[in-house]
Amino acid sequence: MKTRIDEPTQSYLREFGAAMIAYIVVLFLSIWAITTHVRSSWRYPVALLPMIPAAFALVAIVRHLGRLDELQRRIQFEALAFAFGGTALVTFGYGFVENVGFPHLSWFWVWPLMALLWALGLVLANRRYRA
Amino acid sequence: MKNHLKSLRAAHGWSQADLATRLGVSRQTVNALEVGKYDPSLPLAFAIARLFGQPIEAIFEPNLSAVPLAVEQLQQRTQEEDVGAKDAAGTHRLAKVRVHQPAR
Repeated sequence: MKTRIDEPTQSYLREFGAAMIAYIVVLFLSIWAITTHVRSSWRYPVALLPMIPAAFALVAIVRHLGRLDELQRRIQFEALAFAFGGTALVTFGYGFVENVGFPHLSWFWVWPLMALLWALGLVLANRRYRA
Repeated sequence: MKNHLKSLRAAHGWSQADLATRLGVSRQTVNALEVGKYDPSLPLAFAIARLFGQPIEAIFEPNLSAVPLAVEQLQQRTQEEDVGAKDAAGTHRLAKVRVHQPAR
């Protein structure tokens, strides 16, 4: 039976999925370790531990981009450029309203914003090359 | 740009996915090529030409007015038209003048 997901995407989903599972596991472990056991300055590297599986997720993404054909790369470029510019505008805009009273936000908000704009960028870019 | 990919593909009885596999690109790329929303890179254009056994120009039709022509070529062509254009009577085209002879 022919699957609708092509080979390169399947490899990527496997690699990325594995990294994400590892990330969640390590994240819970590090939180548990910090809250219950580790009080010393060891808490900094322990807090950073989830970034190791996160780095593997990034490697999976980069390898996937390397497997793409010419049009797919162009689409990714357009989507990433859109996300880059959009993130610049939103984060700076928010910085300005923070100065005049908006609640101060954690850095954790930046990546989800980037990811959301990247996804939106992909939808828009893919449309340009359809019938 | 306009191209004959769809008919060439149909002549071989291939689906878009088949053609994509043979060219080493995604089905999305084949579709974008066929509807003229994407122009292939040079290596891909040659791969397409080789696969169908035809020259690139037989498969793809660029909008030639949008294609820049080298300035020297334009000047050369204009000169050739001026110098070479003589009608059957051997009169230089640019020098020909029509004179109306009123009836007497």
